[in-house]
Amino acid sequence: MTREPLYLMAIILPPLLCYVLFTSLMAAGLPTRLPAAVVDMDGSSTSRAMVRNLGAFQHTDIVAHYPSAHEAFDAMRRGEVYGFYLIPQGTEAEVMTGKSPLVSFYLNYAYLIAGSLLYEDMRTLSELTDAGIGMQLLYAHGAASWQVEAVLQPIALETHPLHNPWLNYSVYLNNTLMPGVLALMVLLVTVYSIGTEVKHGTVRQWLAMSNGHILPAMVGKMLPQTTLFILMALLGNAWLYGYLHFPLEGGVWPMLMASTLLVLASQGLGVILFCLFPWMRMAMSAAALWGVMSFSISGFSFPAMGMSADLQALNHLFPLRHYFLIYTHSALNGYPIHDTAGAYVALSLFALLPLLCLKRLRRVMLTYKYME
Amino acid sequence: MSPTIILPFLRHLHRIFRDEGAVIFLLLVPLAYPLLYTYLYNNEVVREVPAVGVMEHPSGTAREYLRRVDASPDVMIVWETSSMAEAKELMRQGKARGIIYLPADFTRRIGRGEQAHVSLLCDMSGLLYYKALVIACTDVSLEMEVKAAPLMEYKSIAAYNPSEGFASFLIPAVLVLIVQQTLLLGTGLLAGTDRDRKRQISGTDNTAYKEPLSKGEEAQGWDMPSVKTSRHKAPSPHNPSVTRSSSPVANLHGQALAYLLIASLTTAYMLMVVPHLFHLPQLADGWTLLAFMLPYLLACIFMAMSVSTLVPNREAVMLMVVFTSVPLLFLSGISWPGSSVPTVWRVVSWLFPSTFGINGFVRINSLGASLSDVWVEYLALWIQAIVYYLIARKRCKVQGAKFKV
Repeated sequence: MTREPLYLMAIILPPLLCYVLFTSLMAAGLPTRLPAAVVDMDGSSTSRAMVRNLGAFQHTDIVAHYPSAHEAFDAMRRGEVYGFYLIPQGTEAEVMTGKSPLVSFYLNYAYLIAGSLLYEDMRTLSELTDAGIGMQLLYAHGAASWQVEAVLQPIALETHPLHNPWLNYSVYLNNTLMPGVLALMVLLVTVYSIGTEVKHGTVRQWLAMSNGHILPAMVGKMLPQTTLFILMALLGNAWLYGYLHFPLEGGVWPMLMASTLLVLASQGLGVILFCLFPWMRMAMSAAALWGVMSFSISGFSFPAMGMSADLQALNHLFPLRHYFLIYTHSALNGYPIHDTAGAYVALSLFALLPLLCLKRLRRVMLTYKYME
Repeated sequence: MSPTIILPFLRHLHRIFRDEGAVIFLLLVPLAYPLLYTYLYNNEVVREVPAVGVMEHPSGTAREYLRRVDASPDVMIVWETSSMAEAKELMRQGKARGIIYLPADFTRRIGRGEQAHVSLLCDMSGLLYYKALVIACTDVSLEMEVKAAPLMEYKSIAAYNPSEGFASFLIPAVLVLIVQQTLLLGTGLLAGTDRDRKRQISGTDNTAYKEPLSKGEEAQGWDMPSVKTSRHKAPSPHNPSVTRSSSPVANLHGQALAYLLIASLTTAYMLMVVPHLFHLPQLADGWTLLAFMLPYLLACIFMAMSVSTLVPNREAVMLMVVFTSVPLLFLSGISWPGSSVPTVWRVVSWLFPSTFGINGFVRINSLGASLSDVWVEYLALWIQAIVYYLIARKRCKVQGAKFKV
């Protein structure tokens, strides 16, 4: 392992790069100041106040004013704005005469997150403007404040996003993205290192070091990688929970255990893949497919319940899915550890499963020839 | 086309199809992976998120509220109770993703014309749960309000990706990224194989194989033995056609042309057939798409050929390339909005054709943009294509020279 700098690079660089990249990319938690446009055809004091208020919202940055929707759509197609707010001519006059005018806003959901965040700001602005006008009228008629509240908003909804009150995307994504990259590299490096012995025809020499016994040979080969990968996993935990103070409701031990088990489980899976596909090319491809699919199928961005039943059954075969369950239960929600006993067992099984196919692995490695 | 390109072009095409690994990356992955991936997200949105309704005093209006939430497509009320503890237990067991709490005075306050309150507790393990719950409760709250006609009405229009679907948003970007990544993998795999063979040849019987390897002969490949366990075997006598090798630059052109041919076909399939199969938005004008994808493919091919010179052996390319798909997707500015990407990372993202390719394609495909709407991306891709071409050309000359000595 020490002979080839490639190993060391593959173990350390990708996880480290992704830790730094993802957490610095999403350091703000939520994207702020998203470029938006305004089409103010009214030009009244009411419409100007609305535009000013919109610009003061956290997610919205008004970068352009256009005379018509046509130009605003062009700007959207050029990628300059993610949405625009349109106030038609005569809005203020209609408000004054009680005609309830219609304002509208247009959003580009091809950029789903940007579109959704702008939607929130623009909808809030519309509600507040409506309420603001109403409030002036009601107070002018001598209403009490509790009546004003009830008339403007008869049912008030208070939302409590548990343990992630600011809807922080970095918390939401990085807790699984970062271990996901690590698990992908564990899979690839495991298959690569076994395959390299076959490729270079050094299997017999390697086995001879442990008198032909596959188990000690395997452990001896894997242990340095295991150590380094676990160190990288712990570094990831220290980064998220120690340095960035992400929610860690269930204490540090469940996550440390889960991270360690994720590394071992991915190594186990790598060995199994090599047993199943003893051509290095196929085993590496399978490892890559498994590792990359993990990001989607584990359900941390698009929930598993939204997927078809067969995929929901299939996701048990992906260590990252079990890790994700432990994370949401323990670190995010602080539920007791025995709730996710199943996930810990599953990860342990992945780690131990190669024991069953060691014999096959030995035969495979000694008899199969390297094929490109 | 000059005949000096045709020969290396055909040779390289032949070599690609002889190499199963290259076939996997350059054909199989582009054909199959998009189907698998799109299937994952095929439902587009999450429906019927399970929730518990907690009523301190079950009564008419409170029941009516929960009934309406249950009737919405986004949320399903799986249990009704008066105990918050019981509701939290259901959430802990994963049987519910949210709790809708209606306090004791809910019905009374509505009856008296006072403001009533609803509390919504959400499991944040998925933002889409939260979104579904908030939308359903907000809509029901507004719908049940008996308030005077609004003083100002508003309407929100989903101008693009009108279903607000997850697949319609993410898949176009992923498809464009697959083009670049599979080219990097396929090219790197073949280049790594060359290096394996060179090591195998130079590390052994020097007398049996005196002729230096030019780039042209490397590209031959089919007369080389498979490596097997035998580092000690000399290669079999070479094919007669090896004697007439082409110049490194002609080889570069021929190889690039072979990749272009294959990638054009797979890209056309990925960007036109796959979105059609899964009913994703497709507003692209065919000629615009064609014009835009040409520099994208060239930039990807020449970047892949430049990078491939760094691949030490056949399988190493997978250790180097596969993981980059995740950061590159985020750097492209599709999920995390480009305007919010820190400057340092934005500059880094300019090195990769995928950044411009994804943004240009999404706007052409999902927004119906014209070439002039995406001219920045279009220009950037041509610049990348030229720069990466020059790098690849320099690298192949250097390598050609190295093996001629």
